[in-house]
Amino acid sequence: MIMQGRQTMHKRQFVSPADIAAELGISSSTVLRMIHAGDLPAIPVSARIYRVPAASFELFKAGRLRTPEPAPLGEPKKRPSLGLGETLPTRQEDRPLVSRR
Amino acid sequence: MATLDQLRSHLGTLSAVLWNFGASFPVPTLDEYDDGELGFAFTAELPGASTPRAATIGLAEIWRPRAAMSFRLAEYEYDFIEFPLERRQAFHRHDETHFLAEFGVAVHEHCEEQLGRPSCSHYFGLPLDAYEAIRRFTARWGQPGPIGCAQLRCMA
Repeated sequence: MIMQGRQTMHKRQFVSPADIAAELGISSSTVLRMIHAGDLPAIPVSARIYRVPAASFELFKAGRLRTPEPAPLGEPKKRPSLGLGETLPTRQEDRPLVSRR
Repeated sequence: MATLDQLRSHLGTLSAVLWNFGASFPVPTLDEYDDGELGFAFTAELPGASTPRAATIGLAEIWRPRAAMSFRLAEYEYDFIEFPLERRQAFHRHDETHFLAEFGVAVHEHCEEQLGRPSCSHYFGLPLDAYEAIRRFTARWGQPGPIGCAQLRCMA
């Protein structure tokens, strides 16, 4: 089980590049370069504005950001049924809906 | 199309993306299903507000075997439920035969501005991959205001 999130929860859910720049003592443009390089996870608000999850910044500071590794193989199991529980729509209103329950 | 190794890398990358956003989740495994397909399904809890529950992103994919040890994406479910703001957005591809016969499309979306009270049960959508789904989900994450259900076209 990978557990983090709540343990690293901040009062603020997101921080700005300016906040990060102030905390790290670097310029905002350097923070943006880190974001563009993929070194700091960020969510684009618009083409030039980003917000960074506070939890991501904590991981960054702790050196705990991960680089992708191949996922492990699991044990053979029964195929899941995607869409289970949905009532499938039909185009004609007079036809009954198809239930997948 | 993807090989087994490519699918392991694909899932590992998705896992790293979510981890780096501070999400909590069981280590996902690439599973072999009893009919020879490969796939995964897991749900990640996002950090931040956790009342009544933390926001979640659920990812599930089923890859069908093709020739020469390769697989093609056959079904998916990408779900974002933001419990703190009581809303949901989802991109689905399942029951393809049914949706193609009824609406001429393979995929659909779900969108609930008020969780559990959708204005429409299924919306038309466009195919996308898990990375684009995560990008769209996180763009909405924690942001007040409508998530755009009114801009979607209702199927039925």
